[in-house]
Amino acid sequence: MQSGIHLRKGEKFWLWILLAPTLFGLVFGTLGPVLAAFGISFMDWDVITPPTFNGIGNYTRLLADPTFGKALKNTLYYAGVTVPVAAILSLLLAMVMNQKIRAITWYRTIYFLPVVSSTIAVALVWSWIYSKDFGLLNYALRQVGIEPVAWLASSKWAMPAVIIMGIWGQLGTGMIIFLAGLQSIPQSYYEAAEVDGANQLQRLRHITLPLITPSLFFYIIITMIDAFQAFEQIYIMTRGGPANATTTIVYYIYRNAFRNFKMGYASAQAVVFFLIIMILTLIYWRLQEKWVFYDG
Amino acid sequence: MKKWFLLIAVLLISILVLSACGPSTGGEEAVSGGDAATAEPSGGGEAQAEAVELTFSVWGDPEELAILQEIADAFQAENPNITVTVTVSDWDTYWDKLQTTLAAGNPPDVFSMDAPLYLDYQSRGVLLNLQPYMDAESFDLSDYYEVSLQCYQTEDGYYGLPRDVQPIVMYYNKDMFDAAGVAYPDETWTWETLVEEGQKLTLDTDGDGITDQYALWADLWDMELYWGAAVWQNGGEILGEDFSKTLLGEPAAMETWQYIYDMIFTSGIMPTPSTAEQFGDPFESGNAAMTPAGHWVVPYYSGVDFDWDVAPLPMGKERVSMVNSVGFVAANASKHPDEAWAFLKYLVGEPGQSRVTSLGLGVPALKSIANSDAYLNQPTKAINHELFLQTMDYARVKPCFRGYEEWATLFGDGMYSIWLGEAGLEETMNDLVPQADAILAEAQQ
Repeated sequence: MQSGIHLRKGEKFWLWILLAPTLFGLVFGTLGPVLAAFGISFMDWDVITPPTFNGIGNYTRLLADPTFGKALKNTLYYAGVTVPVAAILSLLLAMVMNQKIRAITWYRTIYFLPVVSSTIAVALVWSWIYSKDFGLLNYALRQVGIEPVAWLASSKWAMPAVIIMGIWGQLGTGMIIFLAGLQSIPQSYYEAAEVDGANQLQRLRHITLPLITPSLFFYIIITMIDAFQAFEQIYIMTRGGPANATTTIVYYIYRNAFRNFKMGYASAQAVVFFLIIMILTLIYWRLQEKWVFYDG
Repeated sequence: MKKWFLLIAVLLISILVLSACGPSTGGEEAVSGGDAATAEPSGGGEAQAEAVELTFSVWGDPEELAILQEIADAFQAENPNITVTVTVSDWDTYWDKLQTTLAAGNPPDVFSMDAPLYLDYQSRGVLLNLQPYMDAESFDLSDYYEVSLQCYQTEDGYYGLPRDVQPIVMYYNKDMFDAAGVAYPDETWTWETLVEEGQKLTLDTDGDGITDQYALWADLWDMELYWGAAVWQNGGEILGEDFSKTLLGEPAAMETWQYIYDMIFTSGIMPTPSTAEQFGDPFESGNAAMTPAGHWVVPYYSGVDFDWDVAPLPMGKERVSMVNSVGFVAANASKHPDEAWAFLKYLVGEPGQSRVTSLGLGVPALKSIANSDAYLNQPTKAINHELFLQTMDYARVKPCFRGYEEWATLFGDGMYSIWLGEAGLEETMNDLVPQADAILAEAQQ
């Protein structure tokens, strides 16, 4: 991982100046609360009255909490489907968007729009799409003779519905990352392959896919972290229901912290959840040598 | 180099993950409507009192904001040295903000309170004890419905006072009853009548093989709408007297669950929650002939294109209904407790209640106003408003206890699987009741 950038003398100064606003916000606005959450996780704190020390009480409690287990399962379900499907679809999308066709920048903009739209607004629109009688989705299903489904009100379908929206929201980011990846593959490789008589499928298999793996690796990491933190769409669309079918960890943390007067317990959940994500990320990181191909 | 990169990555991930748990500021903030025109104490006259600014926070709809602003303005006209800023939020945002501002030591001076949640705040010492003020002024409580005061009363007095009460009655669609040739529900109706007559009101009106008119829709998440009263009607109890035991697994309650279950899955006079969801409010959309609710729906139902009225809840072994109240409290951290009390008194007293009553969102907690034209001839639809007052005679207060929110969410979410037909009654209750009792035990510590 050799960085190609060498700073000249005066540049180092400007580097820090330009980074300062972000670092300031990160350290005081984010790192502070993160460390506080760790400390609070050992306390009994209802947010309102002073906290009292509770040792590992919050952590032992976690083990016996069936809702936390369910929330963890839901979160893994959500992330487990969202991440791979979004990765495959956005890679395909990027390949299509990499063609030289008319008005291609317009198409790219359209597919990127969900990324810059407010999740709250988007979730409201999706709630309407999923509505049983008046929803767009069931209207489409009825046209092909499929019985309407109460998407968000059924404990079987609510999670898939939320997942579909999650994937849709992730496509734009993936498209941009993969587009950049695709466009950085030197054209000469393809030309050489063509001279050697490789057909389109072979070029995809032996040139494009190996060289796109660093982008794929990166995309999967950020999507995974994002998927693990699914909250807004759930808050707006299902409130964790029906019957906790869409209660994710972050939603459960929110409920404990701000509804059940259990900030300490919520913080312990956040810490445990952080460890889970970190371990998964580390495993994933280790595996990269097996399949990620860094060119040059 | 690689190690560094890894370290930074781990740090970034931890920030991403953990920061999601911090209170998010900004975002969907409340609609602030405090355009108090007469901000400054208008010079001259009342120079004796120092200028005081009060913040006043409520949850509700924009319609309520207008009337609350009107009340605040009237209060300001009488007390020129006090400025009141009104903030209205939606329900969820309201509680998020309240907890955050309480934690930061900067809560609104006066704010609304849902009676069942009151003790969770009162017991944490964040509410202003109103008793000394009430004693000093010999504040008269005799005009308040007794049941409306029950939740607010504590060992060392009142920390809040009620504005309105919400006894639950049965709303019914007259047009559907007429069309089916069924007599309107009245005080003779029992649980059996509901199911018998209900079958005549459950119809597939467009003949596509799917029921689109149900006799009844009752929200089964919150006990307030139906199931709480139903358990009582069957002679059961929701909680033990000292709120340390959940009695929803006892025989009387189990019979009630079975009765409700049969209405959904045997006689089919009531839709499952997932079927109901598609209609929005099935009564308002014309897909349910009856629905139990409090007075707060009257303004919304006033706009529908069918005729409707209200009747008593069908009687079980006993005639009983549930009543909840909304009240106001003041913050212990308020810098102006005297002025906060003055404003709170105004809100829950005649000036505030008579104005709010015109919205039709509730029954005034003051009997004199409830029995006056302001309530009985309110500008909403001319229905049997008096029935709500009669219901007060046999309505029991919605349980209010520490840990209410968590306890109620456990049952609301937990029992949903039963109503969706996905889980058995016995097993669900065996699972929920011990969890519920653990919540109660913890809350009472």
